Amino acid sequence: SAKATDAYESARRKVANFINAADSREIIFTRNATEAINLVAYSWGLSNLKQGDEIILTVAEHHSAIVPWQFVSQKTGAVLKYVGLTKEEVPDIEQLKGLLSSKTKIVVVHHVSNVLGSMLPIEEVVSCANKVGAKVLVDACQSVPHMPVDVQKLGADFLVASSHKMCGPTGVGFLHGKFEILSSMEPFLGGGEMIADVFEDKSTYAEPPSRFEAGTPAIGEAIGLGVAIDYLSHFGMQRIHEYEKVLGSYLYESLLSVPNVRIYGPAPSASDHRAPLCSFNVENVHPTDIAEILDLQHGIAIRSGHHCAQILHRTLGINASARASLHFYNTKEEVDAFIHGLKATIDFLTSHH
Amino acid sequence: MASAAATSAPLRLLSSSPLSRPLLSRPHLLILSRPVSFQRLAARSAASPTPSTSSSAPDPSPVDPAQLPPALRDIIALFQSVPDERTRYKQLLAYAARLPPMDPALKSDANRVRGCVSQVWVHAAPEAEAPGCVSFQADSDAQLTKGLAALLVLGLSGAPARDVAMVPVEFIELLGIRQSLSPSRNSGLLNMINLMKLKALEIAAGQEVTGGQEIRQERTETPAVEKEEPQFEAFGGQVHESSEAERPEEEEFEEEPAAVVEGNGSLGGGRKERIRDSLERGLSPVELKIEDISYQHSGHAGVAGSDGETHFNVRVVSKEFEGKSMLKRHRAVYDLLQDELKSGLHALSIDAKTPSEV
Repeated sequence: SAKATDAYESARRKVANFINAADSREIIFTRNATEAINLVAYSWGLSNLKQGDEIILTVAEHHSAIVPWQFVSQKTGAVLKYVGLTKEEVPDIEQLKGLLSSKTKIVVVHHVSNVLGSMLPIEEVVSCANKVGAKVLVDACQSVPHMPVDVQKLGADFLVASSHKMCGPTGVGFLHGKFEILSSMEPFLGGGEMIADVFEDKSTYAEPPSRFEAGTPAIGEAIGLGVAIDYLSHFGMQRIHEYEKVLGSYLYESLLSVPNVRIYGPAPSASDHRAPLCSFNVENVHPTDIAEILDLQHGIAIRSGHHCAQILHRTLGINASARASLHFYNTKEEVDAFIHGLKATIDFLTSHH
Repeated sequence: MASAAATSAPLRLLSSSPLSRPLLSRPHLLILSRPVSFQRLAARSAASPTPSTSSSAPDPSPVDPAQLPPALRDIIALFQSVPDERTRYKQLLAYAARLPPMDPALKSDANRVRGCVSQVWVHAAPEAEAPGCVSFQADSDAQLTKGLAALLVLGLSGAPARDVAMVPVEFIELLGIRQSLSPSRNSGLLNMINLMKLKALEIAAGQEVTGGQEIRQERTETPAVEKEEPQFEAFGGQVHESSEAERPEEEEFEEEPAAVVEGNGSLGGGRKERIRDSLERGLSPVELKIEDISYQHSGHAGVAGSDGETHFNVRVVSKEFEGKSMLKRHRAVYDLLQDELKSGLHALSIDAKTPSEV
């Protein structure tokens, strides 16, 4: 058990190093990124927000970044404000800046969008938010696995990510929070490990991170995440990022060559970063049909649906989309196979008339 | 950002770019104490016919095709004769193309099938030319889903509403497409069938006033019961709006002598005894248990004006049921209780067994 504790705490240090946190006590293990956001919403949000305060989000946020704040809004009377998209289909940073005011208490934004593939200028957002005294929570699920992320450089107050998106096991994720903020926060879940002393009528609480890790943790999973980080570090996130940039562009260009395809989000040339994924639709063909035939007849797995971003889909005027996404282990040949399979699938679905 | 490869590199440059060499070299060793090997997943391609096709007999399933509406039987036979998966999909798409367009006004929330990744609507209405029968309309924005909906619409439209309500959902197995559909598609298909059955049930119950036979679901199936509530109101409404043919029964209903409502109905209008008599004469049961559960329904608009004796649980064990399907057993019970059904008995929950099944 001492070894397990060592391995668990060593995993914590690995996460801290991986994102260049100032201190490993700033890393809190959670079940996933969703739970990490809920932790901030319940522990920080409920105590610090009141009637009339404002929470800024974008329409492109994942449901996990939106729903916990809806709970907070219902309980405290704080108001949610959404930033829309520019015509390049990226969140409108100018609009965001315009929405910031003394009423803004927190800005919740993604680093990289899981649908649009676009990246937000977090440092700029943090700098503007700080001027009005607002905190910033960054959903880094799509950035941490694909590029070097330096939380001290970004400067956000909170950052969340998810193990299973970075070659780790499911069942673990983490919250990074600046130590002073975490120290000022109420606990999230109560129980063993997070206490200092327990009396009948009240208890005193442990320091972060333990304060926010009640009960027996997902020990094996956290250790697994540590190993995943070792694996990724073996390649180096910068190298992974560069490979994926080129492969991602190849995917985008190849997909554009398929007739009647509409890809969402900015073109690679229009911004300085586009994630290696493409959410798309084919005219007159439903994305779920495409995904199903691609899977069952060509052995290629893509996702279809709303990708936990219903608000974004409604904003784009669609019900659902298909999404092909890549990671550093994918190859050019696999992209070619996808495009070939996609064309055959479209033929199959449109030719039966 | 570091000096990255040009994000808008023309494709021809890529041959000498990082992509010409995958990031991971093969064979690939993780830096663990033990190497991990990767297993290529074989594509479930249509090139090789899947084993579970027409050559093999359908799985020994409990579904008796004879129990299914004839149109559905035909469709099942068709699917079973299709030689491979790819053709099965083509067949589904062909059905999708055949489906008559659905009136846009019917694409309401009440007609929406839940739990589908695509949008699916199903509408049911009594068949105008065939009393007691139901006709369906459906649509979906995804072709495969539309194909499944079409299959169900074509297979179940025109059948007696009662029969549709009792169709065993396991018939999907007979189609031989379950393994060809993703899990979410399968659950969507199940939801579609269940919604159609529910709507057929409501239509069947709506014909109750004429003494038609009603299938009453167990109270413990809460979702169905919650949906059943409006049908009692509809029933109540129908008492007033019913057609000429129904009027004699309606008058009889209103003239029912007010009976004292008792928990077990034994001191009431005597319906329980009459049920007992009829079933004993007709089925010579070795076991017969009748329970008046009308008090559970006393709040409904449909039973307003009656004084209990509207809903009964019946458990009957009889040799007469041997060799008979559940449908036939229930029919046998209803046939014996026609008079009661015409005079205010709303629903029976029937547990019908043979002595050897007990």
